[in-house]
Formats: sequence, C-alpha cells, structure tokens
Amino acid sequence: MKLAKRMLFNKRGSLYGAILAVTIGILVIHVNFVIFQGLYDAIVRDITEYRNGDVRVTDEDDYIDKSDSSIISWFERISYVEAAAPRLSSTAEMEITKNGKLIEKTRIPVVGVDPFKDIRASTVHETVTEGTYVFSRNSIVLGNTVANDLGGAVVGDNVKVMIIDRWGEEQTKRFTVSGIAKSPGGQGFDYSAVMHIDTLRDMTDRTDQTGSIMVKLNDPSKAFEVKEFFLLSFPNGDFLAETIEESAEQQLAGFRSGIAMINMIGYFGMMSSAFAVVTIQMMLVNGKTREIGVMRAIGAKRKDILIIFIFQGMLIGAIGAGVGTATGLGYTFYAKETKMSFNNSLPLEVTYNLEKIIQTALASFILAIIASLYPSYRATKLLPVEAMRSG
Amino acid sequence: MKALDDVSFSIEQGEVILIVGSSGSGKSTLLNMIGLLDSPTNGDIFIDEINTTALNDNQISSFRNKKLGFIFQFSNLLSDLSVLENILLPIQIAGTNSTTEKDAIDLLKSVGLEDQMHKRANKISGGQAQRVAIARGLINKPSIVLADEPTGNLDSVTSEIIVDLMKSMAKKLNQTFIIVTHDRKHFGNVDKVITIKDGKAFQGEEPSTMEITV
Repeated sequence: MKLAKRMLFNKRGSLYGAILAVTIGILVIHVNFVIFQGLYDAIVRDITEYRNGDVRVTDEDDYIDKSDSSIISWFERISYVEAAAPRLSSTAEMEITKNGKLIEKTRIPVVGVDPFKDIRASTVHETVTEGTYVFSRNSIVLGNTVANDLGGAVVGDNVKVMIIDRWGEEQTKRFTVSGIAKSPGGQGFDYSAVMHIDTLRDMTDRTDQTGSIMVKLNDPSKAFEVKEFFLLSFPNGDFLAETIEESAEQQLAGFRSGIAMINMIGYFGMMSSAFAVVTIQMMLVNGKTREIGVMRAIGAKRKDILIIFIFQGMLIGAIGAGVGTATGLGYTFYAKETKMSFNNSLPLEVTYNLEKIIQTALASFILAIIASLYPSYRATKLLPVEAMRSG
Repeated sequence: MKALDDVSFSIEQGEVILIVGSSGSGKSTLLNMIGLLDSPTNGDIFIDEINTTALNDNQISSFRNKKLGFIFQFSNLLSDLSVLENILLPIQIAGTNSTTEKDAIDLLKSVGLEDQMHKRANKISGGQAQRVAIARGLINKPSIVLADEPTGNLDSVTSEIIVDLMKSMAKKLNQTFIIVTHDRKHFGNVDKVITIKDGKAFQGEEPSTMEITV
C-alpha cells in the first residue's frame, strides 16, 4: 500500500489530473443540483408562499359556500397550522384615465384577498415594492407588468375596473392604486391586480363565496396529515384539499422531467471523468512498466500488482470525492449565502441534500475504482522480463 | 533455432558459478529460465528437487520470492522507495515476519551503505545502487542469487568492488551465486565456470573442456 501511494504521489501530474477529473465530475452534479433543483424548489416556494399555501382547499363546484371564517378558524386550531387566508379570483378589464383622457385599457386576472389574514398566510404583501398592500375596500395593488401595460400607472392613480358578475352583468368600480407589486422571477402577482376580497365578492355577486383557502403550516412536512385530517373532518362537503405537490402538479411536472434529464447529463459528465481516470491510470501503468516487471521478478503475484493499482484507484476516488464534495459544498454555500439568482430572476432555493451529497461522492468513488480495473488488469498481464526490458 | 539445447548442470550450496559466453549465446536466456522468468519449450528445471516447470503462476511467484534472489544489470531499484524500503520489498511481498528491518539494516551495513538507507533509490550512484540490489537479492535468504551482467553497466573500478562484494557475501553467508557475464576478466577465481556456446553448456572456460550432466 505504501508503494502504491508512493507510486501515485510521485506522479503528481497524473495524480492531480485524476483528482481533477473526479472533482469536476462531482462538481457538475452539485452545480446542476444547486441550479436546477434550486430553481424547482424556488418555484415550489413561490407558488406556496404567493398562491397555494402548503395546503390548498377548494370546492368541486368551483366556489366554497361555507363561511371562510369558520374554515379558517378550524384550521388555526391545528398546532401545525400557522395561518390560513381566503382567496377569490376573477378576470377584469381595467382602464386608466389621466386628465379625463383614456391612457390605456387592459384585461387582467384579479385576486381578492383578506388583507389582514393574507399577510399572515402569504408573502404577497412583501412583493409590494412601491406604496402599500391593499388597505381598504377601494384600494388596489397592481402587478408591475399590469402597471406598465396601463402606460406606467403609479401609486395614487385612479383606475376603472369592469368585472362580469355571476349573472353576466358588467360591474364597474373605481379604485385607487395603493401599491405596485413586483416579485423576483415574476412568480407573484406581477401580471394581476390584487383587491380586497369583499370588494371582489360584491362585484361578482358572490357575497358568501370563496375561491380557495390557502393554509400555511409551521411544519410543511405535515401537509399531508393536515390535508387528510381536514378531509376526514368534513366528509360531507365537496371540498378538495391538496398539498403543494398536488396543487402545483401541472406547473411542476414538466420541470421535474427537465431536472431528471439534467441529472442524466450530470451522470454522463461523471462517466466522462471515469474515462479520464482510465486514461490516467493507463499512463501510470505504462510509466511503471519496469517497476511492475521488477516486482514480478522478485516474487509479486499478479494479485499483488492488481491490488496496487486498484488501491491507487481507491486513493484517486477517495481524494477526488473529498475534494469534489468540498468544492461542491463550497459552491452550494456560496449560492445559498448570496441568494443566487440569474438575471434578477427568482432567487434559487438552495438546500443541502445530504443523501444526494453522499450518493454523488460514493458514486464517484466507486466509478474511480471501476475505472482502475482495466488498467490494473493490464498491469497484471505484463511479463517480468518483457516489462523490465521495455521499461 | 534453439536458444538453449540440452543444457544440464548441477550447483552446490555456497558456490559462485560464472556463466560466460559471447553476446547472443543464450546465457541470459538460461539465467531467466533458472530464475523462472522464462520457461523452456521442452524439458524441466529442477531447483531444490522441485520441478519448477510444473508450478502455476502464483507458485512460480512465491518460488521466485522465497528461493531466488535477483541482481540485474541496471540494478532495477524502485525509484519511489528509499534504499531500505527497496531491500525490504521482497519481505513485504512475501508477507512474512521471519526477516526484520534489523536484518535489512545489517545487510546494508555489509554492503557499506547504512548511511544511505533513507535516501531515495534514484539519488544514489550506479555502484551504490548495485550494492543495494545485492542486499535486496539476499534479504530473503534465497537458495540461489542470480546476477545478470551485474557489472555490465559499471566502470572497471566499481565492477571490481561489486565482484568482491558478491564473492565475500557468498563466503560469509554460504550463498550460491550464479552470475552471467560476457566480461570474464573482472571475476578472477570462482568455483565453477559454465560456458555457453551455440546454446550448449560446457564446464570450464573452453567449449572443449567437459560437458556437465546430472
């Protein structure tokens, strides 16, 4: 083993090359994970925080008829639940006039919120970059894109909103813009307008109805239990309750396939590094042909030679896995601490996935050993006299 | 064409045997066969009454390790190891504890290199390297030490030193040496001289002397 170590460490160029190959293989996996899993988790985070909550309750008939207050009170009695808030959605036509002149007209989605409950259950209010969140029944928050579409609406502007109510009648109301919302990556209500839920109920004539209830948990891992408990507690209702994975399934399914493909590419990268290890190990064997011949001549068995080079593969794998994992963790740490994002898009949700880290390190270690098998086998096939002569 | 044909001779414990012959006569081939580094196309090689041609690869390796010592023309020390580690290598390959580091140091003292023991093998001179090779060849207390042109790469002064060292070690340790050389003059008196000519072995300096059979 000492000899194997010396033989490897005295060939520093080859050693560094092999370690670098393994390190790069691991780093590719870590970088892929940080970026793509981070992006996926960031989307899940934003959908959870802005729209669906950890658990989302809807009704088979599109609207919940039961009092939202009683459902919210029921939820907030569960220790895992931090807060719950009602939401109602519709579509509106909006126009802005300045000095009696129509500036712009656009059709947008509108969301009704209970401002007092919503700031506990959601972080949409934090996306209001100018002005304030909805504070009264005739105030409205415009998404950044909507404000732009309206010719650059600003806080304090007056907008006219037209909504078709449940009976097909057009309802019109004037609002004062209280705030402009802009979220990193546009996952918030950048393309919508947010108003008081009671105002939207009045305009749509759905006075006692709610579109959905978003439930925020203090322990998101209990989402399934909370959902099941809710459905068990309201067996006769037409309620639908979904965890974030279920409610955002459509948005996330495609992304998941993308991540699987990226992971595949990462593993192909790791395979390439294994081929680099094969090449470097072959160089090591060729560079040590004379030594192999001498060892065979003085009594080393084929098995001994095999062990020397496999041990070298293990050393390369272990050091490479260590350096690669450390580098990968360094990158992950950097991404997490700097709240990494690309082109001011949504900040990545960076997590340390211990299972994935160990799996990657172990896979590269095993690959380095496998990559050493063929060169080691070649080394055992050298004949002592020939090897001493050619070396 | 046969490199060696019907070669047969016996050697006694503690003898220094010189195998001489012109270049290409087959003397190195003979040494490689005795050293089990090569195998004959026909016939058998008996060492210590063991038919070595019947051994498998692992057994041959063990045999080489325990019964044979090797000294090569270019010393063939492992440059990754120190002088002492080179001498200890056959013991480590054998995986036995019968010979200790102290024995290796004693051998190094015998060859006059105890002060070089921690130096890397590639940091010593050619003559010193050959002395280390002699110590390495002796460490496992082999039945026979095989030396292939041990002075072939050395100047005449160093060659004399190496020859004297081998002879003194043979006497001191009652060790058999079979030395192949094309340069007879450095070796002076030895116990036996085998001349190889056209693949045939003859005892003595001239082919006309006596053919050895056992």
